[in-house]
Amino acid sequence: MRYKKREETEEKMSVMIRFFAQFRELLGTDIITEPLSGGALADLIKEVASKNKEGYDAIFNENGAFREFVIIMKNGKRLDTAHAENARVADGDEIAVFPPVAGG
Amino acid sequence: MFSQRELERYKRQMMLFGNEGQEQLKKSTVVIAGAGGIGSPVALYLAVAGVGTIKIVDNDMVEQSNLNRQILHNERDIGKKKVDSAAETLQAINPDITVWAIHTTIDAKNAKSLVGNADGIVDAMDNFPTRYLLNDVAIVKKIPLFHGAIRGFYGQATTIIPGTSACLRCIFPKAPPKEVFPVIGVTPGVIGAVQATEVIKYLLNKGELLTNRLFIWDGMRSLAEDVRVEKNPDCEACGTKKERRQKRK
Repeated sequence: MRYKKREETEEKMSVMIRFFAQFRELLGTDIITEPLSGGALADLIKEVASKNKEGYDAIFNENGAFREFVIIMKNGKRLDTAHAENARVADGDEIAVFPPVAGG
Repeated sequence: MFSQRELERYKRQMMLFGNEGQEQLKKSTVVIAGAGGIGSPVALYLAVAGVGTIKIVDNDMVEQSNLNRQILHNERDIGKKKVDSAAETLQAINPDITVWAIHTTIDAKNAKSLVGNADGIVDAMDNFPTRYLLNDVAIVKKIPLFHGAIRGFYGQATTIIPGTSACLRCIFPKAPPKEVFPVIGVTPGVIGAVQATEVIKYLLNKGELLTNRLFIWDGMRSLAEDVRVEKNPDCEACGTKKERRQKRK
């Protein structure tokens, strides 16, 4: 039993989701998730964001796609929203989700 | 050459960068696009630092509801053109600089001539369409653009050196939706101070600029972070692919 448990943990990864600005207010930040290996980045963010409807709606449109102005960074590199849909996450990844602000 | 008054005024900062640095600031021209929440601290700090020529551009009049953050203006300025009120404040705070007040809306036709041969452009706008215009002018003229934007307690800033760093479109390819944004005056205070610091460092050729980095301020947590950003080769404003296409034409 013990042995099996260890095997399970080895398959799980640790991915950190960081929200910024309004997203942070609605969803919190520095959320450590443990998705199964090879998981889709978009699904992971959807899962984390689904705890707050307003937060989810701020990031995703009615079709469940990223809103086009949302900035998504994976380990400090920006992914355009179209690529982010299909991107995969790996153990140790840090995903930042950021709404640009426009006021002056 | 500096007057006695100027030497006295700038004494404490000349300890940092000497006569030469101060001369550098004095002979520089900076365009500040916007005399609102961000434009106010930027203009005030550049004026007191002794940036020789400040061109401030805005199309608005001072309203009561501006006064929680737009610290260039006061109660008596309500109804005046923002740029006139700005010029009065800046000249009062430093009579040894030149201030140009330009009351106009920045658009595709006038953006290039408004910028002229300035040494830097400060983005103190409140909307992305005009920011993209300034970004295009910065790229064409190879003049640095100092970006800042705010909402509520949050802000962002970055410095764009055309040709070498990510441009505004590389970082923000799509504009966020328009809104009447909530704001507390301290936020543009923080972001404007960061932008003014960048301008001064650039003019003095000192320090490390915020290029290829997006500075993010979270006033609610008193947390400043920066995230790495990079040039997008497919960028519609500065992309190398676009350059190649243009050369072929």
